[in-house]
Amino acid sequence: MLNILDLLGTIGGSILGLPGILGTGLGMMTRNWFVAAGLGGLIGLLSPMVLGGSHSTHVPITLTEYAVSISVGIIAGLLGCAIRHKGATV
Amino acid sequence: MSDKENTPRPGLLRRLWRAFWSPSGVLSTGFLLIAGFICGILFWGGFHWSLELTNTEEFCTSCHTMETNLGEYRETVHYNNHSGVRAICSDCHVPHEWQYKMKAKIMAVKDVYHEVLGTISTPEKYEERRLEMAAAVWKKMKASDSRECRNCHAFEYMDFTIQETRAADNHQRAIDEGMTCIDCHQGIAHDLPPGYLEEYEHVVEELAGEVRYRGEEDLAGIRSYLGTAAD
Ligand code: HEC
Ligand code: HEC
Ligand code: HEC
Ligand code: HEC
Repeated sequence: MLNILDLLGTIGGSILGLPGILGTGLGMMTRNWFVAAGLGGLIGLLSPMVLGGSHSTHVPITLTEYAVSISVGIIAGLLGCAIRHKGATV
Repeated sequence: MSDKENTPRPGLLRRLWRAFWSPSGVLSTGFLLIAGFICGILFWGGFHWSLELTNTEEFCTSCHTMETNLGEYRETVHYNNHSGVRAICSDCHVPHEWQYKMKAKIMAVKDVYHEVLGTISTPEKYEERRLEMAAAVWKKMKASDSRECRNCHAFEYMDFTIQETRAADNHQRAIDEGMTCIDCHQGIAHDLPPGYLEEYEHVVEELAGEVRYRGEEDLAGIRSYLGTAAD
């Protein structure tokens, strides 16, 4: 129960954080689905590295955190790309 | 021509959807960008403002189930002390880092669920559930290396020469053995239920198995500390 909540919380945190927001933004910059997914995934990989953990502790960032962040990044990138296809002629 | 008359007029939602995605004929790109930017700032500010509202003591204790903890905490040094710095509920229970804060807020949806169910609505029910709730908090703190405590306290800033000997000795030991605040400071703000030491040990064991967070040494260290503390 607590683990499911934990996972949901991690997903929500990623969507409202860099992977979700910047991922969508970067996805909107290209019409190429693969580039969009790649950029989103890259942000998903980078954000735990840059913003994960905290300034005062030395806790290793878990694999789940990376996996969730990268998946959310890729999906956000694809969503951004879909917005580009639907909403722009260039 | 007749084609157009025969097809029925699309529904309201459909028309709105089309209008949303068609190029704007009357507004310039600059106008749209500036308007979008301003709306974005307003939206984000409002979002953040309401989020901060949910970090106040008033908000937490608006549920009467949380008043047990409020009463206990009011007796402690984090409520009243000689330096006049106060740690409120969210200082210890809600992380500062954005993604972890969002995570904590999303996980807290279960508080609302249990409030509606009345899981801890009477003092008896509360005491029965306390160990389980405390264990949930310990698990979070242990896994995060007591991140929330460390927003205010840090070993590096402590002057061991003016601490009590017992405190200084134990803190030196904590640094050497990589222990974290909650390993020794359970019950820092609330009453502890009976059997808490066993439960805490259980939490640590579970985490050590699950996340391989730290080696066996850590566990042995905590066991021996808990052993001596119980004496
Ligand atoms: C909607 C009413 C409500 C509000 C508001 C509320 N709580 Fe709770 N809280 C509860 C209930 C009910 C439980 C018991 C949940 C359970 O049994 O798992 C609980 C459990 C907890 C727990 C222990 C369980 C755990 O998993 O962490 C903590 C810590 C806690 N609350 C802190 C807070 C803080 C801090 C705030 C303010 C930011 C707050 N609560 C606001 C109703 C509330
Ligand atoms: C908002 C900042 C803040 C946070 C967060 C915080 N503390 Fe404190 N803590 C204080 C202050 C302020 C004092 C009192 C200092 C003084 O004596 O004037 C204090 C005092 C203490 C003391 C001394 C108790 C005594 O009886 O003298 C301990 C132990 C302690 N904190 C542990 C913790 C632990 C463990 C956590 C994490 C669960 C924590 N603190 C979180 C600010 C904080
Ligand atoms: C190995 C066990 C242990 C660990 C780990 C530990 N402490 Fe302590 N701490 C003690 C003991 C024992 C005392 C003295 C008795 C008391 O006040 O409870 C103490 C006292 C304190 C005091 C009061 C000091 C004074 O002289 O008034 C503070 C503040 C404090 N601890 C904060 C922390 C913080 C913050 C952490 C985590 C960064 C931490 N401790 C980790 C055992 C520990
Ligand atoms: C100094 C840090 C600190 C502050 C301030 C604090 N808590 Fe806690 N809280 C803890 C710790 C640590 C635990 C884990 C159980 C324990 O060790 O007592 C905990 C446990 C809890 C629990 C689980 C049940 C229990 O009694 O153990 C609830 C509910 C809770 N806190 C609510 C609150 C509320 C509401 C406030 C504000 C009125 C608050 N806390 C303020 C540190 C704090």
